[in-house]
Amino acid sequence: MFDFPRVLHRLHLFEEDGVLYAADIEKARVIEISVVMVDILKLAEKQTSEEIVQTLNTSYPEDEILEAFERFAEFEREGLLFNRGENLRATFAIESKRRKLLVVIPNITTDSFFDIETLYAGTNMALSYMFEHLTKYVDLHFAGNQNRKLADNVYEVDISVFDFGRLSRRINETYFGILTLHRDHETWLLPLYQHKELPPILVQCHAPRGHGGNAINSMLRHYAAMRDFDAFTAPSDYVREFYSNYVWDPSFFNTLPNGVDSALFCPMEKEKAKKELAEHVGDDRIVTTPTVGYLSRVQSEKGASVYLKLAELNPHLLFLIAGPHFGRYQLRELPDNLVYAGFHPREKLPMVYNAFDVYCFLSMSGEETFGLTVLEAMACGVPPIVPNFDGVPSVVGDAGLIADAENFDQDIGTLVSYPSPIDFSEKINLLLSDDGMRQTFSQKARERALSFTWDKTAQRIIHFFEALHEKRQLVSPNKLLNAFAPDIEVSNPKQNHLKYKSIVLSMNKYYQRSLMGDALYSQRVEEGLAITLLRNHTAREAEALLAEFIEDQAEAKTILQRVRGLIHATA
Amino acid sequence: MALHAHYRLNRHRKFEQEGRKYVADLQTNDIVEVNDVEWEILSRYGTQTQYQIVEELKEEYKVESIFDGIERLERLGQQGSLLSTIDGAAKKATDSWKQEGRKPKLLVPFHFTNEKTSLDYTTNLNRYQLLTHLTQFADLETLTFSKAGEEDLKPQDFQGYGDIRIRDIETEENSAFGPPWYAMDGYDGILLLSQFLTDDLLYYQLPDVPIVHCIEDVQKLQGSTLETLLNIYALQNANDTLIVRSSWVKERLTEYGILGKNVCVIPNGINVGEPISKSLAKQYTAALFEKPMFSQQPIVGLISGFGPNYGAKLVSAFAHANPHLAIFVYDPFLAENYKNPPDNVVIFSADDEETRSVLPIFFQALDLVCFPAILGTPLSLVLEAMAYGTPCVAMTKYGLPPEVKGAGAVVKLDWRDYGNPYVPMPELSNTINHWLKPSHTRTECENAAKGLAQKFTWEKSARGIAQFFEKGHERSIREKTLLPSVFCRRYNPGTGDTISSVYRIGTNRYDCLEIAFVEMLAEQHTPAEVEAIFKHFRWETSAS
Repeated sequence: MFDFPRVLHRLHLFEEDGVLYAADIEKARVIEISVVMVDILKLAEKQTSEEIVQTLNTSYPEDEILEAFERFAEFEREGLLFNRGENLRATFAIESKRRKLLVVIPNITTDSFFDIETLYAGTNMALSYMFEHLTKYVDLHFAGNQNRKLADNVYEVDISVFDFGRLSRRINETYFGILTLHRDHETWLLPLYQHKELPPILVQCHAPRGHGGNAINSMLRHYAAMRDFDAFTAPSDYVREFYSNYVWDPSFFNTLPNGVDSALFCPMEKEKAKKELAEHVGDDRIVTTPTVGYLSRVQSEKGASVYLKLAELNPHLLFLIAGPHFGRYQLRELPDNLVYAGFHPREKLPMVYNAFDVYCFLSMSGEETFGLTVLEAMACGVPPIVPNFDGVPSVVGDAGLIADAENFDQDIGTLVSYPSPIDFSEKINLLLSDDGMRQTFSQKARERALSFTWDKTAQRIIHFFEALHEKRQLVSPNKLLNAFAPDIEVSNPKQNHLKYKSIVLSMNKYYQRSLMGDALYSQRVEEGLAITLLRNHTAREAEALLAEFIEDQAEAKTILQRVRGLIHATA
Repeated sequence: MALHAHYRLNRHRKFEQEGRKYVADLQTNDIVEVNDVEWEILSRYGTQTQYQIVEELKEEYKVESIFDGIERLERLGQQGSLLSTIDGAAKKATDSWKQEGRKPKLLVPFHFTNEKTSLDYTTNLNRYQLLTHLTQFADLETLTFSKAGEEDLKPQDFQGYGDIRIRDIETEENSAFGPPWYAMDGYDGILLLSQFLTDDLLYYQLPDVPIVHCIEDVQKLQGSTLETLLNIYALQNANDTLIVRSSWVKERLTEYGILGKNVCVIPNGINVGEPISKSLAKQYTAALFEKPMFSQQPIVGLISGFGPNYGAKLVSAFAHANPHLAIFVYDPFLAENYKNPPDNVVIFSADDEETRSVLPIFFQALDLVCFPAILGTPLSLVLEAMAYGTPCVAMTKYGLPPEVKGAGAVVKLDWRDYGNPYVPMPELSNTINHWLKPSHTRTECENAAKGLAQKFTWEKSARGIAQFFEKGHERSIREKTLLPSVFCRRYNPGTGDTISSVYRIGTNRYDCLEIAFVEMLAEQHTPAEVEAIFKHFRWETSAS
C-alpha cells in the first residue's frame, strides 16, 4: 500500500468539462484524477494510509481507494504530486539569499562528487574540488530526482532536464546559471539552448577532441546551437587555439584551469616517502634506485606502452606505476625495473608523488587538456616531464621539461599524439643526472603549482557567469523583415542575366519602416541570407552556412559582422 | 514574404496560484507559467486576430511586450505546448462576406495617387475607371492618417474615384505602426494600384489578407515596370495575384522564368467615342494638326511602347521609308520631347480631359494600328484605336496577341542585348503597306476589330479582379518543420576537413543540408524568393 502521509507538491485542483485535474506546479504537469483521488489528496499530508481508508470508506468502496493509492504510486515514480525528498519541501522553495547555480550532470551519481575516494577519473576529481570551492560563493543545486541536502550549501533538487523547458521561467528566476559538463555521446543539452528564458549555460569541456572525431563534432554542434550568452570552459588555452581552426568566434571557449590542493599535495622528505612506498610495495629498490613515476590508469591512451619502452631503455632506473590496476599489461612479460606501486587512497598520494624523483606524464589522449596529476606532482615538488602536445605544457610552463611528441594532424581512435620515447628517455636521464637542475625544477614546480588554486577556479566560474549575464543583456533580437527579389539594372542594357538582391522591408512585425525615411534598403543576397538566418538561428549557425556558401571566408565573416551590427542598431 | 504560421489554442485552463499565473494545457498536460500580457493574449488568441489583440492591449501594455508575448506563445507552440500548428494540408476558407451576404471589403491604399504626376494621363484615368466600376462588386475603403498639426490625404484627393469610404486613423506623433498594420483590421483583401512605390511591398508581409496588385503598361516606364513586376512576383504569397494588362507582359515574364499561376492577365476596359465617318475623322485630324496629307493619305497609327531613343529612331526611319503614309504616333514622352519629327508624322498624347476627348476622332481616322507588343505599350489604347474597325500590325516576339485575335498580322520583333527591342524596318514597311490595301482578309480583320468594344469593358475588368479576392481565400497553410535543426560544421576524421551540415534535434543525427536550408528559407520566404537565393548562388533549383 502506498504510504501516507506525504508532502505534496504545490498543487492546484480544478474541474474542466466534468473532468478533475491536479496541476502540479513544481513539475509543471497537469494530470487527470478521480473524485476519490481528490479527497485523498486533501488528507494526504495529515493522515496515514490506514486512516485515509478509514476516513473515506463510507463514501467510496475500499477497492476504489486502494486503486487510487496504486495510481498515486505510479505518479510518485514519475516524480509527480509528491515531494520525493528527505528534508526539503519543494524544489524551488530552498530559502537562501545566496546566488544559486543549477548543476546538471546526468548519469553520474551526485553523491560521488562528495565522496572523493570513489573518484579516480581526473575529470570527476576536478569537478569534485571545483564544486567544493564553488560553495564559498554560491549554493549548488544538483538536478536529480529528489529534494535533499547533500552538504552545506549543496542540495539535490528533484528536477529533470526534460522539465527545463516547462520550468524555464522559474529556473531563470531562481538560478544564476546552469553549470554542466560536455560529453560527446550525450544529446540532452542541445534542445535546452532553444529555451531563451533559461539562464546562461556554462558547459565544462574536459575532452575537446578525440573519440574518432566525435568530440569535435559534438563541440561544433554545441557551439552552433548555443545562445549568445552560453559558453564553454576548458582547462587550458590550448582549446581556444585548437577550436579557432574550426570556428569564427573562439570567444565561446574560456580557459578555466584546474587547481590543486596545495595543502595536501606538498613536498615531503623524499627519503621518508620512498621508504614508506618501498615498504608498501615490498621493493627496497625504491629507496636505493633513482625513481621515475607514473600515476594514472594503465592504458594505451595514457601512454602505458611508452612507459614500458622507457623502462626497457633505462634498466638502471626504477619505473613506478601507481594506478587502479595493471590492466592488460599484466599479461605481458614486463621488465624487471617496472614496478607496480599499487592503488592508493587520496591522502596517501602525496607520499607516492614524493617517492618519485621525476614525474612522467605520457598521455596520448585527445582528452588531455590539462593533466591534473602533473599539477599534483608539481605541488609535491616533483619535476615533471610532459609531451609537447595539447594543453599539458601550459600547466608545466618553465617548471619542468617538455619532451618531443609526434602530434597527429587528425586524431586516430582517441589518440592525437605519440610521445617520443627517445626524447623522454634523454630528458629523464638529464634530470636524474643533474641534482642541481632537478632541485631548481622542484622549487619552480612547487611555486608554479601554488598559482593554480581551486578557489581561483571557482571565482573564475562566477566571473564567467557574470560576463554571460552581461552578454545576455546585450543580445538584440532580430525583428527585421526582409525579402529577396530580382535586381534589374535599368541603366545597363547589357546585363545578360538576372541578378538578385535582398531588401530590408521593415524593422518589426508592426511594419515600422527601416531607418531613415521611407526607403527600402537594398542589400546583397548574402546579407539578406544572414538576416533570415539570424531570425531563428544563432550567429554560429549563420557562420556554418555562410562559410559553405561564400568562398571567401574573410568576406563571409565581414558580412555576418555587418548584419549583426544592423540588427543591434535596429533592435 | 511567406505566410505566417497558424496555430490554434489547445484546450487549456488558466489559473493563478500564489500570485503567479499559469496555464495548463489539457492536451499535452504541460503547465506553463505566463506573465500578465501573455495571460491576456491567451484570453484572446483563439477568437481574435493578432491585430485585434494588439490594438486591445496596447493601451495597457507596451507594444513590444505584446508581440514578445505572442512570439513566446507561438514558440511554445512550436515546441509542442499550448498551441498546435494547423495541419498544413487543411484549406481554410474565410470568405466571410459570402456567408454574410455582402460584398467583400477591400482596402485600397490611396497613396498610389502620389504617383499621379509621374504617370501619364491614361494610366491615371484607367485607375480611376477601375475603382468606379469595382464599387459594383466590392466595398472599397482607404486609410488616412491624422497627426496633430499634419494633414494626410484630403477628401478632395478622393473625389472622382467612386464610392470609396475613408477611414481616418488618428496616430500619435511617434507612432511606430506602419500603414500596413491597419490593413490587418478586417479587410477581405487589399487592392494595390501603385506602379512603382516600394511602400506597397510591405503589404506582402501581412498574413492571410489576399492582395491583388494591378500593374499597368505605362509608356515611358518600361524598365521600372519590369523591376516592379519582378519584385511583386518574388514577394507574392500563394493567395496573392499580380494582374497585368496584356498577354505580352505575361509572356515577357516567362522569359524571366516566371510561370506563376498568380500572374494573370485582366485587360483594362476601353472607352469608345461616338462614331463618325472615317473621312470626317481624317479631315478633323488634318485640320487639328494642320497637316493636309492626313486627309489625303492612309494614316498609320503607332501606339508606342518603345523607349524614347529607339522610339524616335524607329518613327523617323519608318516615316522616311514611307513618305506616302501619314503617321500618327501616340507616345506621351515623344509628344513632349520629339520636337521636329518628319513632316508626315504627328505625335500626340492625351494629357487632360480635353485632349483625351479628341482622341476618338484621331483613332477613327486611322487605317491601320501598329504597336509593339512590349512592356510599356498600353493594350487599352491599342484596343480603343482598333475598336472602330481598324486592323492592326503587331510587332511581337510571341505571335499575334490573343486580345486582338483575328484582327491583324504580326511583324517579327526580337530583343537585342537584354531588353531593347529590334524591329526589321523593311519587313515592317512591307507588312504595313500590304495591310493598308483592301482585301478580303483585311475586311475580316476590320469586322473582328469592331467587336473589341463589347469584349473589353470596365465591368468585365472590375468583375475579373473582384473574383481574384475570392480565389485568394482558397489557400494552403505553410507547414512548419517538425524537428528543429542546428546548422553546424561537421568534422570528418577521415580527411581532417570540415563541411557545413545540419543536425536534427530529436533524431540526433546529421541530415541533408540542402533540404534543411530550403525548409528554413521556406518558413520565412516565398518560393520565388527561395528560388532567387538559389539562382544567386548558381545552385540547382530542383531542391526548391
